[in-house]
Amino acid sequence: MATRRTFLTSLLAASALPTLTWADAGNPRYLAAAREPDGSYALFGLGTSGQDTFRVPLPARGHAAAGHPHKPLAVAFARRPGTYALVIDCADGHVLHELSLPEGRRFNGHGAFSAAGDVLYTSEIDAASGQGVIGLWDATRAYRRTGEWASQGIGPHEIARLPGSDDLVIANGGIRTALDDERTKLNLDTMMPNLSYFSASGELLEQITLAPELHQNSIRHLALQSDGLVAFAMQTQEAGDVFTPLLGLHRRGSAPILASAPEPQQMRMQGYAGSIAFSGNGAQVALTSPHGGVLSVFDSNGTFQEMISRADVSGVGPAQSGFMTTDGLGGLCSVADGALSRLNTAPRAWDNHLVTLPV
Amino acid sequence: MKHFPALIAALALTASPALADLAHAVDDYILPGYAAFADTTAALSDAAADSCEPDTLKSDWNAAFDAWMGVSHLRFGPVEDEGRSVIIAFWPDAKGMTPKGLSRLIADEDPIVKDPKAFKDVSVAARGLFALEFLLYDDQFDATAPYTCDLVRAVTADLADIAGKVSDAWKDGYAETLRTAGAPGNTTYLTREEGLQVLYTNLVAGLEFTANERLGRPLGTFDSPRPNRAEARRSERSLRNVTLSINALQNLTDTLVDAPLPATDAAFAAAASTAAELNDPTFDMVSDVSDRLKVEILQQKVKAAEVAVLSEVGPALGVSKGFNAGDGD
Repeated sequence: MATRRTFLTSLLAASALPTLTWADAGNPRYLAAAREPDGSYALFGLGTSGQDTFRVPLPARGHAAAGHPHKPLAVAFARRPGTYALVIDCADGHVLHELSLPEGRRFNGHGAFSAAGDVLYTSEIDAASGQGVIGLWDATRAYRRTGEWASQGIGPHEIARLPGSDDLVIANGGIRTALDDERTKLNLDTMMPNLSYFSASGELLEQITLAPELHQNSIRHLALQSDGLVAFAMQTQEAGDVFTPLLGLHRRGSAPILASAPEPQQMRMQGYAGSIAFSGNGAQVALTSPHGGVLSVFDSNGTFQEMISRADVSGVGPAQSGFMTTDGLGGLCSVADGALSRLNTAPRAWDNHLVTLPV
Repeated sequence: MKHFPALIAALALTASPALADLAHAVDDYILPGYAAFADTTAALSDAAADSCEPDTLKSDWNAAFDAWMGVSHLRFGPVEDEGRSVIIAFWPDAKGMTPKGLSRLIADEDPIVKDPKAFKDVSVAARGLFALEFLLYDDQFDATAPYTCDLVRAVTADLADIAGKVSDAWKDGYAETLRTAGAPGNTTYLTREEGLQVLYTNLVAGLEFTANERLGRPLGTFDSPRPNRAEARRSERSLRNVTLSINALQNLTDTLVDAPLPATDAAFAAAASTAAELNDPTFDMVSDVSDRLKVEILQQKVKAAEVAVLSEVGPALGVSKGFNAGDGD
């Protein structure tokens, strides 16, 4: 069907691609996976006021994504244990590459780019042993697999790069999951999550573990402040434990701070934090608890500030003032000064995360 | 493809509201339910002011617990402010925090029981219906001892205060918030579907709680049954709570959906009649190899009611369960 004109246009587009920036993609600010009303799955680009900027169909349920630091590209990951990761052109939403997993590996839902954008790191597991793996991919050569490191834990989940650095931090959630449909948890009695830091050459720089009585607090999600403060969100695997802290704050070289809200508010989180983000100005950190239908806001020292109700809220990201949230009811809301206001309601169920793009 | 989301939205709008009756559920189910809980807890508090004799208070305490079972599965709105629902019914208590918290107060003769405002800072585990169950039914406590009697009065007054606040907050605003779901300026329920969805999600979660916790905890496993984990076993309310929860969830369904629900009606009726045939108020029978099966069958019937609700009520209302609330990753 290619006419001479469309052929030339696509040639032009191809030659122009290396110089395209996020501005050329219409400056999407966020990415979020969703379930459509017909039961299919897609990834959406979203603008600052919650409007769609693009839509990409996904072959199965999605989870999170990693935005390229300079080019208008993002890699969308399958829900764990996943078999796909798609490199997406955020200008028009078309799929540029599909990552090809080595045999015996599964994607675990998250990934991160190096500062220059030349290396993609993915959180993975070895399907047979459950041991965690960090996969390395060459973004300059069609996302060829170039190597892998042990993540130094079981069940790695979110991985992130420290701002202004090529060091990485990964949340080893500690849970070994069967590859069945129910994702049966196999090691709850012995699980031991950790937070591990790596250099760009794969050297383990530091590893944080929790006190023995908190060994069932799975460390799963991460948010990073520009000064290097790492906030981590936890999910307890101890049935009925509604008081356990779900927020951790850590700075390289010091002990982590675990933070709770006062008892009545802490209980509403139901032992589960789904996503975590710093506010636009970095002064606050928010956790979402979709089971309890609440967003919990702390200051960056771990002092509880406020709790906001929103049914099925799960995705959260920074907004110019405060936070942006997504929920399973299709809502996109802004949270500022203790109040939630609707920006948009989309006819779809937003999945776990609202991914903030590096623009 | 560009018009696909708009088309779906239009379909969703035309499919649901005719069969749903949000106002009916609010006015004839939720408001009377919370009013009954406020009235019965006030009566319990008044009775405790007169006497701390357990035999006198047990009937008022049971009436309050019965009323709570009518609304216990509503986990949104005013009952969630300040953690009220967990204060009212702190269960399951895997670490035995309720008896520990009560024993500590009694051992210290903590004067906090004399100050209703300060009592709000007492651990949730030492408050509410289950704290009172220990104080009235468990041999390790003597409700008529002077300090323990003050504690009984403090817990009943606190419970009545909470129940009154929940009922008032519904009457004075939250009922209207839910009735007007989707109206301009309603920042709690952005669409009418969200109002229906919160009730639907609570309906399904209520059935899951009864199947997995009220029945699942005492069942344990075949090799390791756990009758001591039955809810409210000291007052021998374990089976009664299951029965009342099934009734309440059926009432919620009936007021919310204005359409025939043959499979759901049949499933609720089957669960209720199976519960009625059990002659063991505390599920001690889970330890008996053959009788245990009867409790397992009841659990299956409650799960079958959930399946019926998911397949019949959800489509009738045009909503589905919260996508993230029932999930984890």
